[in-house]
Amino acid sequence: MFPEWLPWLLQVNDSQFPSGAYAHSMGLEELVQRGVVKKPDDLEMFLHRQIIPSLLAFELPFLIRAHALAAASEPEKLRALDDELDAWKLAAELRLASRQLGSRRLSLVQKLEEDPFLTTYVQSGAPCHHLIACALELRHLPVAAAVCAFALQTISGYAISAMKLIRLGQERCQLIIRGSMAILAPQLEGVIASPPERIGWFNPLLEIASMRHARANERLFIS
Amino acid sequence: MQGHLHLIGSRYDSGQTYLSQRSFRAPLHLSKPHEDAGALVVNMVNPTAGIFDGDTIELSVEAEVGASLVLTTPSASRVYRSRSGGPAKVTQRFSVKAGGLLEFFPEPFIPQAGARYQQKTELRAMAGGRLLFFDWLTPGRVASGEVFRYAELNWDLDAIVDDQLVARERYRLSPEDLSLEALHQVNPQAHYLSCVCLGEMAFPVAEIEALNSPEVYLGHGPLCSGGFTIKALCQDSLSARRTLQQLRSILYAALQRPMPSLGRYL
Repeated sequence: MFPEWLPWLLQVNDSQFPSGAYAHSMGLEELVQRGVVKKPDDLEMFLHRQIIPSLLAFELPFLIRAHALAAASEPEKLRALDDELDAWKLAAELRLASRQLGSRRLSLVQKLEEDPFLTTYVQSGAPCHHLIACALELRHLPVAAAVCAFALQTISGYAISAMKLIRLGQERCQLIIRGSMAILAPQLEGVIASPPERIGWFNPLLEIASMRHARANERLFIS
Repeated sequence: MQGHLHLIGSRYDSGQTYLSQRSFRAPLHLSKPHEDAGALVVNMVNPTAGIFDGDTIELSVEAEVGASLVLTTPSASRVYRSRSGGPAKVTQRFSVKAGGLLEFFPEPFIPQAGARYQQKTELRAMAGGRLLFFDWLTPGRVASGEVFRYAELNWDLDAIVDDQLVARERYRLSPEDLSLEALHQVNPQAHYLSCVCLGEMAFPVAEIEALNSPEVYLGHGPLCSGGFTIKALCQDSLSARRTLQQLRSILYAALQRPMPSLGRYL
């Protein structure tokens, strides 16, 4: 049977979906300037050894909680998670980028399809972090779809921004995204089935990079 | 061992801070507090060799309205190899009330090979209170060739200002997975410094920015509300110590207060 939610998932995950993600490198620009990521192989290592572990240990388990609350129409509890994300994101630029991406997504999603629950949530003044926006816009879909979508948005966000920062062509970029998702995807079922109770990940390098990017003299990206 | 330290710093009408409550139990001990630069400086001593698996230590330190309290340690904290497979546990709560200042400035934390350790920290500042919290995580006994050889460190931190959660960290560090990757990538023997400043202050951006150097990769920025965070990855212990000392000096200048001496020469 054809899953009726599939067109929606494809549309809101399309790389042309105007979420504003193209304007953010999420700290990668500073890591390139620092010399941590200099070539495509470095980017691949960065994604495999820093971003994928962070997704598995923090963002995706958090998303699973948020998705469950969104699916159950629990706006107050969802708002509490949204506010909590403000505290988790210590680097101000990453925090603001997440809020910008989420707000932009929800703004557009409301125009695409009338959704009183979502409208009320946005109008409540919630931070609307990217992760929460993903949970909201995909709350009628299976959690596996939401988790996979968020993971792909994160991985491809870094990889596509890298094309403007290092010598990286479109084909290699797609290979890196595919390679990363091939590592990540087999682990998603386990995370969904038994998400860790204690979530969190240690990446002071990316936090410092983001904090330094905020004060960089010259930059291509907002974050 | 089941140790604890409970301190409450209160303020006399004269403006001096005194310990209105003081309770401790081995392995913790207090040296005689001294007053300097308008603050009461308390040295927390662990006269044993260090912290062992099975040890449970609870710290609770509060600066009451208008009190100025500095808690520090005279030497590094070591955590030894876990023989039982279980962790040592430290729970620490620092809180400051209106008009008060509370600083926690410990010497480095040195997790030795095979160490298992859990640290839970809660920082709480009420309106008008200011809190400075420093943390220095070393890679281990570098001179003995023990670099990131501990078994597992679990680090939890919550910072709360006026009942709002403004910072939360949870991480598990272990050489068994990729959790140390970010440290390795900057320097194979990186020392990690973390500082949380809660309460109102004119944050000295330019001065802190100037702490960056080829040996020190440092970032800073505002929390979502009520404070700032500073993080640094340092090449070695010397650059880490120098950075922390300079940072402390800069922050006290920003608070427009003289910096209390910690009573040691380093």
